[in-house]
Amino acid sequence: MSAGSARSLAKGSAPPGPVPEGLIRVYSMRFCPFAQRTLLVLKAKGIRHEIININLKNKPEWFFKKNPFGLVPVLENSQGQLIYESPITCEYLDEAYPGKKLLPDDPYEKACQKMVFELFSKVLTNKKTTFFGGNSLSMIDYLIWPWFERLEALELNDCVDHTPKLKLWMAAMREDPAVSALLNEANTLRGFLNLYLQNSPEACDYGL
Amino acid sequence: MEDASRTFGKGSLPPGPVPEGLIRIYSMRFCPYAHRTRLVLRAKGIRHEVININLRNKPEWYYTKHPFGQIPVLENSKCQLIYESVIACEYLDDAYPGRKLYPYDPYERARQKMLLELFYKVPHLTKECLVALRCGRECTDLKLALRQEFCNLEEILGYQNTVFFGGDCISMIDYLFWPWFERLEVYGIADCLNHTPALRLWTAAMKQDPTVCALLIDKSVFSGFLNLYFQNNPDAFDYGLIC
Repeated sequence: MSAGSARSLAKGSAPPGPVPEGLIRVYSMRFCPFAQRTLLVLKAKGIRHEIININLKNKPEWFFKKNPFGLVPVLENSQGQLIYESPITCEYLDEAYPGKKLLPDDPYEKACQKMVFELFSKVLTNKKTTFFGGNSLSMIDYLIWPWFERLEALELNDCVDHTPKLKLWMAAMREDPAVSALLNEANTLRGFLNLYLQNSPEACDYGL
Repeated sequence: MEDASRTFGKGSLPPGPVPEGLIRIYSMRFCPYAHRTRLVLRAKGIRHEVININLRNKPEWYYTKHPFGQIPVLENSKCQLIYESVIACEYLDDAYPGRKLYPYDPYERARQKMLLELFYKVPHLTKECLVALRCGRECTDLKLALRQEFCNLEEILGYQNTVFFGGDCISMIDYLFWPWFERLEVYGIADCLNHTPALRLWTAAMKQDPTVCALLIDKSVFSGFLNLYFQNNPDAFDYGLIC
């Protein structure tokens, strides 16, 4: 059983000891997409690491000493240095560890990746308004919606727990008459996906 | 002042390509985000030209430089465009030789980026205070919230026991914070620093830095700009220019 599938630590748990030399520790949660970013980079670069899963619904008190914001992912190395915020952890790993560089060396290419990421983050955090185009639903919301509708089918709703504004947006979208009229029932979508993955020619007609 | 040029507005002709050996910044003399990038250009001694944009009357051609017409944007002689102030600052540090503003150590670099996260509410709060005061509204709650953010930054300086946010010398993170602190006085909210002595020491130390000094915006010019800006006068952005 890999360390990534260990039970999470919750309130009342003893704080873990220091990180052994030669390892880096990541505080994570198995279903958190932000923590998954860091796990991907650790894996891609072949970095020896240990995983401590945190119960995000019942956080250990000691965890706030690792990250005052109380969020995962957090990296801790054997020197006791702590790094949090998923993109910062990823960039730190790329810089601190040898092997294949994930960020380009060219300053402009690196800047391009960061600019694209900023745009993507704006979609995820949707900081300012209820809908993506303002305070009422408009074209951009319809353009983005189909990908989020599929989260439910794939049982990935918990992904948006980190991003309450996005969760509210999804709820608001479901009330839109156009969206609800076309809502692909989760089961239908799952049925389609099953057949599709088996390369079945019946996939596209599932449920008819 | 390198940036003392009239703004380009609607109907203006697009500027030509950027000459080799120079980098261009699309800016506005009073914008704090562009100020960050101008500080880095100056600190690293990078040869550059400034094109000021009239933000209330943007040239049509400017949207080919930035999809939403925002500043700052960097453009080099290879026609490469870089936007988002923090990304532009990091690009300059990476692409140009000489003095490095970000630390070399990956952990110290990460620390500066984590510190930037702590700062994220400050620009919005300072702007809200300014708008409230200019519209004759009271802003006690806003100032309280801003003071709280300053307390968080004060704690960092206390814990580190250093003059600057990156250590004993000025570095990138200090330049990224500075523009909003420079504006506290002219915005009328300098008293928000009353309970944060280490932060006051930091602002004093910043004002001694040659780069910060060279780019310091004249208070009366800034006030003149703010007066016109809040009257929705599109000439605000050129206030104080002699030519």
